[in-house]
Amino acid sequence: MEEISLTINGKNISCPPGTSILKAALENGIKIPTLCYHPHLEPVGACRLCLVEDEKTGRIMASCVTPVSPNMVIQTDSPIIKKHRINIIRLMMANHPESCIVCSQGNRCELRQIAAELGVGQIGLYPMPHYTGLEEANPFIIRDLSKCILCGKCIRADHELVVVGAIDYNLRGFKSRPSTVHEMPLEKSSCTFCGTCVSLCPTGALSLKNTRYVGSPQNESSTICGFCGVGCSLVMGSVDGQIIEVNPSHKEGTVNRSTLCVRGHFSHDFLNVSERLTSPLIRRDGELSPATWDEALEVVAKGLKSIKKKNGPQSLAFLGSSKCTVEENYLFQKIVRVILGTNNVDNCSYGSGKAVINLINEKLNGGGRIKPLAGLEAAEMIFVVGADPTQSVPVVGYSLKRASNMKRIPLIVADPRKTDLVSFSSLWLPLAPHSDFAMLNALAAILYKRQSYDIDFINKFTEGFDLYCDGLSSVDLKKVSRFTGLDIKLMEKAADLIEGKKIAFVIGHGIMQQRYGTLAMDALLNLALMTGSLGGDGQGIYLLARENNQMGAWDMGAAPDFLPGRQSLYNDIIRKHWEQNWEVKLSPDPGLNIIRMIEEAEKHNLKALYIMGENPLRSLPQPKRISNALNNLELLIVQDILDTETTQLADVVLPGAAFSEKGGTFTNLEGRIQSFEPVVSPPGEAKPDWEILDLLFAKMGYSKRYSSLKDIRAEISNLVPMYSELGGNGVETWIKETSNMRLFHPDREREPIHFSPVITTKNEKSEKDYPFTAILGSLRYHLGSGTRTGYSDRIRDFGLKGEAEMSSEDSAGLNLKEGDKVRISSPYGSISREVTIKRDLSPGLIFIPIAFQNNDSRQLIELTQLGEADSPGWKECQVKVEKLET
Amino acid sequence: MTKPEEIDWGQLEAIIDKHRGESWALIPLLQDIQETFGYIPEESIETIAEALNLFASQVQGVISFYAGLSLKPKGKYVIKACRGTACHVKGGRSILRYMKKELGLDEGETSPDYKFTLETVACLGACFLAPAMMVNRAYFGKLSPPKVTSILAEYGKKKGED
Ligand code: SF4
Ligand code: SF4
Ligand code: SF4
Ligand code: FES
Ligand code: FES
Repeated sequence: MEEISLTINGKNISCPPGTSILKAALENGIKIPTLCYHPHLEPVGACRLCLVEDEKTGRIMASCVTPVSPNMVIQTDSPIIKKHRINIIRLMMANHPESCIVCSQGNRCELRQIAAELGVGQIGLYPMPHYTGLEEANPFIIRDLSKCILCGKCIRADHELVVVGAIDYNLRGFKSRPSTVHEMPLEKSSCTFCGTCVSLCPTGALSLKNTRYVGSPQNESSTICGFCGVGCSLVMGSVDGQIIEVNPSHKEGTVNRSTLCVRGHFSHDFLNVSERLTSPLIRRDGELSPATWDEALEVVAKGLKSIKKKNGPQSLAFLGSSKCTVEENYLFQKIVRVILGTNNVDNCSYGSGKAVINLINEKLNGGGRIKPLAGLEAAEMIFVVGADPTQSVPVVGYSLKRASNMKRIPLIVADPRKTDLVSFSSLWLPLAPHSDFAMLNALAAILYKRQSYDIDFINKFTEGFDLYCDGLSSVDLKKVSRFTGLDIKLMEKAADLIEGKKIAFVIGHGIMQQRYGTLAMDALLNLALMTGSLGGDGQGIYLLARENNQMGAWDMGAAPDFLPGRQSLYNDIIRKHWEQNWEVKLSPDPGLNIIRMIEEAEKHNLKALYIMGENPLRSLPQPKRISNALNNLELLIVQDILDTETTQLADVVLPGAAFSEKGGTFTNLEGRIQSFEPVVSPPGEAKPDWEILDLLFAKMGYSKRYSSLKDIRAEISNLVPMYSELGGNGVETWIKETSNMRLFHPDREREPIHFSPVITTKNEKSEKDYPFTAILGSLRYHLGSGTRTGYSDRIRDFGLKGEAEMSSEDSAGLNLKEGDKVRISSPYGSISREVTIKRDLSPGLIFIPIAFQNNDSRQLIELTQLGEADSPGWKECQVKVEKLET
Repeated sequence: MTKPEEIDWGQLEAIIDKHRGESWALIPLLQDIQETFGYIPEESIETIAEALNLFASQVQGVISFYAGLSLKPKGKYVIKACRGTACHVKGGRSILRYMKKELGLDEGETSPDYKFTLETVACLGACFLAPAMMVNRAYFGKLSPPKVTSILAEYGKKKGED
C-alpha cells in the first residue's frame, strides 16, 4: 500500500495508511502528551490531551484516534493546542482530591508530570473532587477512585491484555467509575490480582499495596521473574537494598508485554523475609551454627572426597534446581561429572514431566523448541490438553484467551475439569482422568476416516504411516467413548474443528505428570505428524514449563541422562566429545534421578547428597519417606536462599542468592534465553550460587576458576551449540535448534520422524476402598510446592485455604455443605480440608489445590518414577473421603 | 412493572436464550427484559454475560450507562421532576421538595408497594411549561403545590396516605 505523506511540526513524514497521527509523531521522535494512550491497548480518545491542529483546515483532533491523511500539516504544540491542553489538565485537577499531595504515586503520577510540563500551577477553578471510598481490604491493590481520571487504561488492560473482565465503566457522567460487577470489592470479583491495571494507571487511583514501605523506590532495574517458565520481564524498585515493588518492564517485544500475574507482581515480597539464610551454617553437636565460608566449604569438600574414596562415586549425588540460572546449572553438573566422576545429578523439574520431555527429545531431537507465545495468537487452531494455564502459567493463559476472544481462533480444551479457559473455548472435551491418549488416537482415527491428513508432510518427513493407518482403522470409537466418557459426537465435533488445520498443542502437567503421560505424548505427536502440525510458526507443541529455568536446567545437563545441550550420555560419540571438551574420562554409568536418589539413600547406598535450591521435603511425594532417606545420609549439604524443611536436616547449609541478587540467565518455555543483572546485593554473607560453586571447584582441587559470569558463559557458548549465542547481562537471544531430523533441515539426507503404535485402552483397576479420583493442581497464588510464595506476606494475608473441590452430587451423597471439613485419604497418607462445592465438577472427581497447608497434599501420592510402566503418576490418585465432625 | 418477588425466572431465561451467542444483541436483549419486567434484575447480569460471551462487568456497564435501562425495580408510575435552569428559576426546587414530602420518597427511591418512583432529570425539554414534571410519558407544567397534589391524586395517591 502507498505511504501517506504529511508534515508534523514542519517535518516531512511518510507512513502507512491507517497509522494514527500520534504514532506517526512518536515514531519520528515528536512527543505529544497523552494520558489514555498505551501502545499495547486499543486507542479510545478519552482524555483529549493528545490534541493536535491541522494548520490547513484549522481542525483540532485527538491524535491517538485520528489516522493520518495525505498532505496534513500538523502542529502539535501551537498556542491554541497548548491552551486547550492546559484547560483539560485544569479540569482534571479540579476534579482531584487534596490527598494528591501525599499520594504514593508521587512524581511518577503522569497527571502531575504533564501539569508540571505545561506549567499548570494554580488551576483557578472551584475544586469539585469526587470522593469515593478507599478500597484496601485485599493485600495487593489499593483503589482510590477519587483520583481516577477515567482514562480507561485499567479497563482496557483488564479486557484486552489479561482478558479477565473484572472491571468496566459503571454509571454515567460525573458518577462514572471503573467498577466490578455489583460494585463488589476486588476480592469478591473475578479479578486475578495480576496488577496489570495498576501498572498502567497514570495516576494514584490504583496502587500496589505495600506492607512495609510507602513511597517511591530509590532505584529501579530490569530483571526476569523468578517464578514460572514464562519468564516475564520485570522492573524491580528497591529501597536500601530491599525490593519494594515490581512492575512489568517497558521494553518492547517481551513475552509478557505490559502484563504480569499475581505471583510476579506481588509475591516477590518473600525476598525480604527474616527466614532468608544469611550465613553459612555447620551442624555442631546436633545444632546448626554459623561458620565462615571457608570452614563450611572445607567440611563439604572433605566430606565429599572421603565418602568418594570409601564408597566410590556412585555414593554421591547432586540435586540441582530449575530455579537456579543456566550458568549455575552448567557448573553444578560439571562438578558432578568432572570432579566426582558420576552422573548422579538431577533437578527438581523431574516432576514436571522428564519422561515426556525425554520422549519428545528422542522423537524431535531438539527440533521445534522455539515457540514464541505470540505464535498462539496467529495459530490456525489451538488444542489445550491437560493444562490450566490461566492458573499455572497465567501469561500463557492471557495469550490463549486473546487468541480465542479477540482473534477468534478455534480453541479446544481437553480437561476433566471445567477450567477457567473452558468458557473461552469453542469446545470442551470433559474426558475421564488419564484417558487423553485414547481421545487423541480417536480423533486421529476420525480424521483418517475422513481422509483428512497432510500427505505431503507425511511423505517428506515421516516414516511408518502405513502401520499407523492400520492402527487407526482398528480404533473402536464406541470403546474409546466408554473409556474416555466422551460422546462420539463430541469427538466428531473436535475433529471438525481440527480438520484441514495446523494445530498448536498446549501441554501441561495434566499430561506431563499423569499415569499415561508418555502414551498421551505418543498419540499427540502422531496427530501432529499426521496433520503436519510441526515445524512452523503457531503450530507444534507448546510445553508449559512450570519453573522459571526448567528448560535451561535440562539444556545444561542437570539430569542424569543429559549432557549439556540435552545430548544423550549413552551415546558413545557424544560422551567422547565431552571427554575431550573437559579433558577428563566420563562415567558411562547411568546416574540416579531424584527418585532413585531417595531410594538409594533408603538402602544406605547413597551416602552424601548436595542439594542446591530445592526443598524435596516439601515438594516430593511421601515426605516421611523423604525425611527418613535424608536422615540416612552421612552428609547432607543444602544450598538455598530460605530456611526450609530441608535445610533443617542438613549438616552444612550454604546461603545462596535469589535471582534478584545476582546476574545470570534463564531460558523460558518459548526457548528465549534471557540474561539479567543483579538488582540488589545478597543479604548478609549470602553469595550468588555460581560463586559458591566456583569456590567448591577450587576446594575440590580443580585447576580452572570462574571469576565472573563471563567466564562461565564463554565456556557454555563455546561448548554447547544450542547456546552459542548466549549473551551478557540484559541480552536476550534464542536457543539454536540442533535437531538431526529432516523436518528441521531442508536437505533430505537426515532422519525421518517415526509414527508410534496406536494404543486406545488400558485396563483400569477399580479400587473399591478408594472410590474418588483426586486431581492435584495448582492455583495462581502459589508456584510449585509454595516454598517461596508461602513466605510472601501478601499471599499469606490473602488467606486462601486451598479448599478441596467436590461435585454437588458427591457432596450431597456425603451430606456435605460448603465449608465442611473432610478427611481425604489414599493408601499413602491423609489430609484434612474444607470442601467447596462445584456444580461443574463430574461426580467421582475431587480437585485438591497443591502448595496449601505446607503442601501436605503430596502425602496422598505414591513416590514412583514418572513414566515407568506401573507408575500411577503424580497428577491423580485414588482417595476416600470422610466427613469430619466439628 | 413486575415486583421483584414476582419475577418469572423461566420467562427471563427464555428471553436470554433467544439471544444466546449473539454478543451484538446485548442492547435489544436488555431492552426486552426492561420492557417485560420494568427493570433488569441484578441477579441476571452474570447469566446474560455468559449467554452472550461477554464479561459481566461489560453488561453492568451498558445497563448503568443508559437511562432507559435500570437495575432497580421501579414503581408503576415513574415521576420525573425537572432540575433544569428554567424550572429552577421558576421555583422547581420547592416543587421537588413538596413532591418528596407528598410521596414520602427521596430522589431515586421507589415506594414499597412499587406504585411510585421519584427521579430527577436535567431538563425535560418543556421549559416553556416550567416548572415541569412527567409521570411516565405524560407532561405536566406550570406546577404549584396544589397542582402537584391533584396530579398525584389522579394516579392514586391519596392525601395523607403513605
Ligand atoms: S483507575 Fe486509573 S487507569 Fe483506570 S480509568 Fe481511572 S485513572 Fe485510568
Ligand atoms: S488486577 Fe488484573 S484481573 Fe484484576 S482488575 Fe486489574 S487487570 Fe483485571
Ligand atoms: S510467575 Fe510466570 S506468569 Fe507470573 S509474572 Fe512470573 S513469569 Fe510471569
Ligand atoms: S491520548 Fe488521545 S485522547 Fe487520550
Ligand atoms: S428546565 Fe425544566 S424543562 Fe427545561
